Amino acid sequence: MAELLYKKLVKQYRPDLPPALDRLDLNIRDGEFIALLGPSGCGKSTTLRMTAGLESISDGQIVIGGKVVNNTHPKDRGIGLAFENYALYPPLTVRDNLAFNLKAHGVKQAEIDKRVAEIAKYLHVEELLELKPAALSSGQKQRVNIARALIRRPAVLLLDEPLSHLDAALRVKMRTEIKRLHTEQRFTTIIVTHDQLEAMALADRIAVLNDGKLQQFDTPLQVFNHPANEFVAGFLGEPPMNIFAVKGDSNRRLVVPGTEFSLPITDFVGRLLGERKSVRLGARPWGIHVSQTPSEVSVPGTVSVVENLGDETRVGVRYGDMLLMASTDITRVYKPGSKVHLTFEDEDLNLFDEDTGERLTA
Amino acid sequence: MDRDTGILGLLGPILRNLILFLYALFALFPLIWMVILSFKPDEQMFTTTFIFTPTLDNFRAVLGEAGFVRSLWNNLVISGLAVALSLIVGVPAAYALGRYQFKGREDIAFTFLSFRFAPEILVIIPLYLIYQKLGLIDSVFGLIWVYQLISLPLLIWILRGFFEDISPDIEGAAQLDGYSWWQVFFKVLLPMVKPGIVAAALLCFIFCWNAFTFALQLGGASTQTSTVSMTRFLASDTVHYGWVAAAALLAALPEVILALLIQKHLVRGLSFGAVKG
Amino acid sequence: MASVELQGLTKFYHKRRGVENLSLDIHDKEFMAVFGPAGAGKTTTLNLIAGIVTPNSGTVKLGGRDIGGLEPADRNVAMVFESYALYPQFNVYDNMAFPLRSPKFKMPEDKIKERVTHHAKVMRIDHLLQRPIQALSNGQRQRTALGRALVRNPDVFLLDEPLSHLDAKLRHSMRAELKEMRTQLGTTTIYVTHDYLEAMSLGDRVAVLNQGHLLQLASPDDVYFRPASIDVAKFFGDPEVNIFDATLKTSGGSQISVQMLGENIPLALPPDVVQILNEKHTSKIQVGVRPPDVRIAPEGDKQAFHATIYSFEPLGTKSILTLKAVDGSFVRALVDGHLTFEIDRRTQFCIDPHLLIIFDGQSQKFLARSADSIENS
Repeated sequence: MAELLYKKLVKQYRPDLPPALDRLDLNIRDGEFIALLGPSGCGKSTTLRMTAGLESISDGQIVIGGKVVNNTHPKDRGIGLAFENYALYPPLTVRDNLAFNLKAHGVKQAEIDKRVAEIAKYLHVEELLELKPAALSSGQKQRVNIARALIRRPAVLLLDEPLSHLDAALRVKMRTEIKRLHTEQRFTTIIVTHDQLEAMALADRIAVLNDGKLQQFDTPLQVFNHPANEFVAGFLGEPPMNIFAVKGDSNRRLVVPGTEFSLPITDFVGRLLGERKSVRLGARPWGIHVSQTPSEVSVPGTVSVVENLGDETRVGVRYGDMLLMASTDITRVYKPGSKVHLTFEDEDLNLFDEDTGERLTA
Repeated sequence: MDRDTGILGLLGPILRNLILFLYALFALFPLIWMVILSFKPDEQMFTTTFIFTPTLDNFRAVLGEAGFVRSLWNNLVISGLAVALSLIVGVPAAYALGRYQFKGREDIAFTFLSFRFAPEILVIIPLYLIYQKLGLIDSVFGLIWVYQLISLPLLIWILRGFFEDISPDIEGAAQLDGYSWWQVFFKVLLPMVKPGIVAAALLCFIFCWNAFTFALQLGGASTQTSTVSMTRFLASDTVHYGWVAAAALLAALPEVILALLIQKHLVRGLSFGAVKG
Repeated sequence: MASVELQGLTKFYHKRRGVENLSLDIHDKEFMAVFGPAGAGKTTTLNLIAGIVTPNSGTVKLGGRDIGGLEPADRNVAMVFESYALYPQFNVYDNMAFPLRSPKFKMPEDKIKERVTHHAKVMRIDHLLQRPIQALSNGQRQRTALGRALVRNPDVFLLDEPLSHLDAKLRHSMRAELKEMRTQLGTTTIYVTHDYLEAMSLGDRVAVLNQGHLLQLASPDDVYFRPASIDVAKFFGDPEVNIFDATLKTSGGSQISVQMLGENIPLALPPDVVQILNEKHTSKIQVGVRPPDVRIAPEGDKQAFHATIYSFEPLGTKSILTLKAVDGSFVRALVDGHLTFEIDRRTQFCIDPHLLIIFDGQSQKFLARSADSIENS
């Protein structure tokens, strides 16, 4: 296991297009679990492929365990890559799939047997060793896939969307297993994913990418609670954050013109606002408190839609084009047409610059 | 893995283009030679240098001959009607093969395709005998009929793919929108496969236009097509290479124009998947 | 406006089962969510109602009338397909106008214009009317497809996974917006989905299908809180419901308590549950506990189960905590996102017996759940 550094890493496919990856700087510690998160085309897969050596590096450096690997052949980089579509060799048994790479490297049979047994135990595939890939379920295939990537004792384990082919229930189970595996083994791991829940659940730190640029690199809860900008705020969290434009009016209130929305500007918000007249406001559904009684700081509204989702009730209040969703614990008191009062706590309130999308900080 | 650097990096693309250029020259040479021949006077016909006095005599001679102009017209009529008949029969056939699950579907589709397997020369003698019995030798209808062997398989196989690409949901949607099956077919499906129909029809036309064996054996004086007519310039004693070249060039002209049209429709046909999102 | 009745519908595609002996009663103006995993027979059900496929046996009744012999065009049902099935050669306006130009529903062009513009406004696509379909986003296509189905006042509205092609974020907001629009539809609607949140949010009732069979037909609350079987319980809720083997202990006459997870901690069952269990004479049960109902207990709580923390996955507002109980089984808990937990540390958790869902150990069918559990909210 080793640390992994990206230094001003650039990938430029064509000179006339913006770079697919623009000066990525990341410092990944030994044993850390990192998620590269972003929508398709954000540069996360490019980064993974460059790390594995499947894609050339336009500029910058990749350093694994203190060694620059820009010109190192993929097989000598010490990378274990688990492909998205498993890529197991169909005619070979699970045992031979696992041993394949070691054989190619001339490892002795006794050593191979030992390592296969060891890795099979870690990944709970011992009873599958004599089966062919076709006989495995998709969850089992994914475990064999990861085992095969790990058996070479790589410096860095790369996981390319490992859960995207599994159904929802299995995905949650497999997520737990991968997380547990990492806690036990602590190998430096990079997961590439577009699923923010996966990134949040698994990673020690998340690197959020968009349009080839790093947006934020921090722990899941930091990224969730203190997003660097509107993109990060909107990308993470389910149900999604409510983000909409508001204007400051003369009564020290933030309003959505033409609607009931009118939020008193607290000292804290006032400091964030500075001289700005209009900003974009972001509030997570769980951060909005719904009440039947008004308070000095509440925003009036009329319930437009109520969703009963078992242990959770979501209340939607429409302000013009904006349907503001608030999540509450299970409740049956609100109906469409009910008058409600919404409270936004300072710490749950995000304000974004209208032009740059950056989150305003005091 | 390593990056292109220095002189090697620059040389790479140049070398690549040079190789491609040389190959293009090699592949196109017979065509270029034909164009050159058509502009050469008879006396310079057998020189292998590229220097000659260009002349239009060959074209004048070929166009001056009433038989050749007529054969061009014959070819146009016969090929055009052959494609039209293929469309009438082939479009519904392609739809059925593309949409319905029925017993022997793949066998039928394969049988259609197999019409293209056998060399024409192999079937020409039995066909000749049959045509003679039916009195179809040297008739426009006879040629149109036999041309179905050329155009129908092609048309069906191309259009089948197009129909398969249309989601059955679209048909369901249109039926629920209040249209009968026939209206759905003409109002919704046909416009959707139009690029395919145009491309397939043009390809069929080109194949029919170039057909030689059937036209030679089953045609006659009144139905001579341009491909057959050209052979008259290859007499047993003298061969007017210049005339042949000029005639071939003239006969190829409609195809070149059509091929340019095809290009556009083929691209449209291929970017067809936009419906699925 | 009409009710829909399906009676003993069976449809096989060669050997593959679409639906088998399916009976469903959908009331006039009801919004029925048909929920199930892939291959459950949901789309087959819609196609049978629409008349796009014909059943092997069984009848479809619309407003009390058997419509088995009718062509799709004559059934006056409108359908929104999963693939949207928009006509690529037309723009948005012509797509929406298409049904109104058909011989069946023909009306003058100025009337058509009025209708189309009205419904485009409802769907908030009025600024897109002249756009070709290819230039629309998935969300806009989906709304165009809804608009096309709406323009002609159908008797029944069939929706086939209309949100499945949208990304997760958009799905949440579109679901809420769809629910908001529901009141404006005012038409009998059958909504097919594999997303349990959609089924619960939108449906007046939910029909749970699996492998061509109906597992449960009930209100969203009932499906969630009183699932007909362990399978149904597993379909609804994320993370999945915890299922444990448990034994019943009778103590002090009418008292029945539950023991599980390898510990000697009797959970006294509420009287209404006891009554049902007594009536059914059940001895072997399985219990379901939803992850939000598993609560981390303070140290020293006598009623708490012991566990080690197997895995901790923060998801922002909430976190998933996987606990390993004394008997080695895993228990998932959904806890507040502000708490952090260290892997492999010991901890305790408790479960409110009122919240237990009790299943028969043999048939895995629903037996009982205390009525108090929902009423207290």
